[in-house]
Amino acid sequence: MLKQPYRTVLKPYGRALVDLARDRAEIICLTADLTRQTEIDLFQEQFPERFIHAGMAEANMVSMAGALARRGFLPFVHTFGVFATRRPLDQIVNSVAYPNLPVRIVGFMPGVSSPGGPSHQAIEDVALMRAIPNMTVIDVADATQVRAALPSIADVPGPVYLRLKRGEVPVIFDEGHEFSLTTAQTLIEGDELAVIASGMMLASAISAAAALAAAGVSVRVVNVPVIKPLDAETIRRTVSRVSAVITAENHSVIGGLGSAVAETIAEAGLGRPLRRIGLRDTFAEGARTAPPLFRKYRLGTQDIVDCAWELLGRPGPPPPAPATVAAEGEYSPV
Amino acid sequence: MTATNALTPARYADVIRLRAVRMVAPHGFGYLGQALSSAELFATLYTGHYVPGRDSLVVSPGHYIIAAFAAAPEAGLLDEEELASYGFDESALEAIGTERSPAVDLTCGSLGMGLSGGAGLALADRLQGRDGARVYAVLSDGELEEGQVWEAALFAAHHRLGMLTVLLDANDSQVDGPVSSITTLEPVAGKWESFGWAAFDVDGHDTAALDDALRAAAADPRPAVVIARTSTMHGLAVLPDGADGHFITLPDSLAEAAIRELEARLA
Repeated sequence: MLKQPYRTVLKPYGRALVDLARDRAEIICLTADLTRQTEIDLFQEQFPERFIHAGMAEANMVSMAGALARRGFLPFVHTFGVFATRRPLDQIVNSVAYPNLPVRIVGFMPGVSSPGGPSHQAIEDVALMRAIPNMTVIDVADATQVRAALPSIADVPGPVYLRLKRGEVPVIFDEGHEFSLTTAQTLIEGDELAVIASGMMLASAISAAAALAAAGVSVRVVNVPVIKPLDAETIRRTVSRVSAVITAENHSVIGGLGSAVAETIAEAGLGRPLRRIGLRDTFAEGARTAPPLFRKYRLGTQDIVDCAWELLGRPGPPPPAPATVAAEGEYSPV
Repeated sequence: MTATNALTPARYADVIRLRAVRMVAPHGFGYLGQALSSAELFATLYTGHYVPGRDSLVVSPGHYIIAAFAAAPEAGLLDEEELASYGFDESALEAIGTERSPAVDLTCGSLGMGLSGGAGLALADRLQGRDGARVYAVLSDGELEEGQVWEAALFAAHHRLGMLTVLLDANDSQVDGPVSSITTLEPVAGKWESFGWAAFDVDGHDTAALDDALRAAAADPRPAVVIARTSTMHGLAVLPDGADGHFITLPDSLAEAAIRELEARLA
């Protein structure tokens, strides 16, 4: 793992998809009027014959992708997470998931990473996709993980929902990072508290763990990029080693990673106190930039630290989260 | 079983009706109206147009799968004996089409999705160089209320998917009543034409007119729609006036009368 502030890169997904498509002639790329924003202008330049403008018509795009998949193509459909999951939900269910077709639905701008208000903030996309049979749900944490994950994602026999940060994407993992569809990754060892995080909240979880460690709390950090199928075995093993658990997701606390972990803990009868960091059953709002939204909706590093402190019943004020100093082109979590 | 070429499309349509009555009869009710309105449409399509293996068939409204099943034996897509399992537990011949449904390439229980599927299949044919492969998509007029149909219509015209033909069963029937009493769709042909499609508006129970329209549709470089004006009561005089075309009730006595009527006509 690299150190904060993280350097960032542009279009890691777009570049990885182009590289993958060189070897995989069956990959077809579809867009719903958000080509540059979903990094696939790169694909369009390289493989114009395999690039399809569906226009602002997500329902048609998803059903067409299903039909293309029936004929042996591997369609990747792209738009923002809100439009990828809300509008074509019935099409995802009936044209893709029920027939178990290998369509990859790629939704950018998760949670409150968009300052564009509730219409642009995908806060329940994981919940919606997780509830659909056959669907694999992936929320990657950084640029290295995107690239590492893409070949595995291409090989999933059924549909996949992939959730990606838009724009400057941090590099948290080293070059050699291995992505597994089946195994969650324990990044930091610890035995008092577990922080289980996905996507954009991983950086905050790592940061919070460092602050807590400095204050004498032993924190275990687990990255769960694959929210479904969940690596329940690692969750059970993690939870059984600690006395309290926090989940962290840039998503509603209903139906996403926190819910999946809660279900696993309850079914295993492990009975550890659990707190879920995420949007607390509320819509957010528009803002000039995203960081104030992470702060306002308690999705910051300090929120994880405070939550841990209270959960473990530590006396006195919680330690302060490290100040986030990120220069232009760098990334530090809120 | 009679070979397709020994059947006129008009007679084939009555064979479809008779089979559909027999499929619905054990249940006492079902999607008979859809088979009655689309019988000539399927019969004509399967006589000299649709070639299984080369072409693709989409039955967008899953409720019409009864007609596709009833027409399938002549096309070699289903054994006639299998029709008896229609609608029963564990049968692959479910009353509303699903992924298990034989005899079609795609069917959709949730309405309005089939044309997108058809566009996707036509696009796949083009990308994979299957020259001469056509995609036939059966749609119902009620489905035109779904916005996705028009998304797909825009896409198909823009991408010049000329191998795509819609067979629109305009039977003026939807669950809540006549389509025309719920949403004004007219001018249906004008709508499709303005979207860049070739449109052929014909009597959907006139097999010669349907045949001409399908030929013209195939000859036109644009995607084409054959608007078949039909009735959910057509070809079965014993049905009482006011029968619900979407979901016809068929008690034993009525089923027996219907079978007698159709057998007499086919004798």
